[in-house]
Amino acid sequence: MPAILEVQDLRVSYTAGREVLKGINFTVDADDFLAIIGPSGSGKSTLIRCVNRLVEPSGGQILFEGRDLLKLGESKMRAERRNIGMIFQEFNLIERLSVIDNVLTGRLGYTGTWRSLFRAFSKDDIRNAVRLLDRVGLIEHLDKRADQLSGGQRQRVGIARALIQNPKMLLVDEPTSSLDPKIAREVMTLIREIAREFNVPVLCNIHDVDLALEFCSRVIGLQEGTKRFDGPPSEIDKHVLADIYSMEVL
Amino acid sequence: MNAPVCAVAKPLPEWRRFRFPQSLYKYAVALATLGFLAWSLDVLRIDVERLPGILGRMFEVLSDRYWPPHVHHVLESAYIDAVIDTFQMSYVATILGLLIAMPLAWFGSFNMTPSRRFLYPAARLIVMACRSIHEMIWIILLVAIIGFGMLPGTLAMTLFCVGFAGKLLAEAVEAIRKGPVEAVRASGANKLQVFVFAVLPQVRVAWTGIAIYTWDVVFRAATVVGFFGAGGMGHFLRESVQRVESQQVAAIVLSIVLIVFVAELLSAWIRNSISRAIG
Ligand SMILES: Nc1ncnc2c1ncn2[C@@H]1O[C@H](COP(=O)(O)OP(=O)(O)OP(=O)(O)O)[C@@H](O)[C@H]1O
Ligand SMILES: [Mg+2]
Repeated sequence: MPAILEVQDLRVSYTAGREVLKGINFTVDADDFLAIIGPSGSGKSTLIRCVNRLVEPSGGQILFEGRDLLKLGESKMRAERRNIGMIFQEFNLIERLSVIDNVLTGRLGYTGTWRSLFRAFSKDDIRNAVRLLDRVGLIEHLDKRADQLSGGQRQRVGIARALIQNPKMLLVDEPTSSLDPKIAREVMTLIREIAREFNVPVLCNIHDVDLALEFCSRVIGLQEGTKRFDGPPSEIDKHVLADIYSMEVL
Repeated sequence: MNAPVCAVAKPLPEWRRFRFPQSLYKYAVALATLGFLAWSLDVLRIDVERLPGILGRMFEVLSDRYWPPHVHHVLESAYIDAVIDTFQMSYVATILGLLIAMPLAWFGSFNMTPSRRFLYPAARLIVMACRSIHEMIWIILLVAIIGFGMLPGTLAMTLFCVGFAGKLLAEAVEAIRKGPVEAVRASGANKLQVFVFAVLPQVRVAWTGIAIYTWDVVFRAATVVGFFGAGGMGHFLRESVQRVESQQVAAIVLSIVLIVFVAELLSAWIRNSISRAIG
């Protein structure tokens, strides 16, 4: 499988002189479900947010299908963002908009500014939004306001919003940390299913190591901005975890 | 069971709420505030002995010269037309002012401005310029430039509205949640789309409230701009004052108080029902 994403020597510092990511290298293949694990503050979110440049890296390369995203100007980068769907820990829905309007915001990158001012999304987009909401099990809630949904339902809207972009990759930042364990498993299962259905690789931050091991095909371990592990879940044992989380083996 | 005892008796630091330098600053600030107040009151030269007399005299003057108010004066059609003019002036000025203030609020909000280097300082400067010049000074200036009439009043109220609403609207934008903004940005939306889809829904209620509140403040100011030659009911006040028709003055002042009061009630009621409907 060819790599869809290739990250080389990625460096980020929010404040001068203090690097949060200290030269990260990894690749995401077209059929990967790649988990990033690591202690709080190790730079997992920062890493994911660099890929679509919500965070501006200070050095390195991010090759997406061979194109270096860090070299793109603003409008070219916007066009690339359409290829990269993102799912958030806090769902980040627009609470006062309806469920279907939230999903349709995923099409803004494809919709002209004038049309979007009047929320005049194309018929295809609307059909697609309905189909996706049906797929994630929210067909009865189309017209509800997003703030009337439960956490698990909101995350499903977030998933549909990412999918309607027709993405070539999904970025997922702690999709389950705001959910209870049962709903968390359901959401992870859904993400794995849609990744297969839509044939998109996933790059996913997870707090919960057990979830990571269960759902992911590969794991990257971060600690204080450096990569400490990169391999399949089967290679993860006590010693690897002890190294990533720099704790004593019990 | 014994009370728990620390294994090693180590000396604990003594904790106090007020420590030396900070407590000194506090007392110094309190002393300066009070001292300045005493000094400023002294400037007023309030004569405590004459204070009751002043009240009595005020009552005398009011009952002698201003009572009873010539109510029929404010019921004449000329005056009622002027009230309607005032209303129209405040309405046009508020809408124009809001149309200018809304983009300025976008450009002048630190979190959402499309350009922190140019648009942000430019927008802040414009809003601040409108604010720093008092509306009455705008009116005096504009009447001097364009002459008497409704136009200078409307323009002055528009500028006032830009300064007043521009700041409040921008503050509402600065208080939004950042998450939805990032989500919309991550989908490849441009800056205007991000503003329309991620910011406007979040500030819709606040902005509607600010808009109505702005109208209410503009209307109150508009009732007196005529005094300086800028049209509306204030014009009648000036004429009556100049002719020393105190009973007419009384009627006009009462009518202004009443109308502003009603406008304020109306604005509060509309704001409440809107925020209930779309909140
Ligand atoms: N916007 C920011 N400005 C400054 N520093 C930041 C910012 N965002 C994150 N940091 C810092 O960068 C480091 C890495 O943060 P990041 O959020 O990437 O960690 P994380 O691994 O996702 O942690 P968590 O598991 O708690 O989400 C932390 O030290 C954090 O304080
Ligand atoms: Mg994080």
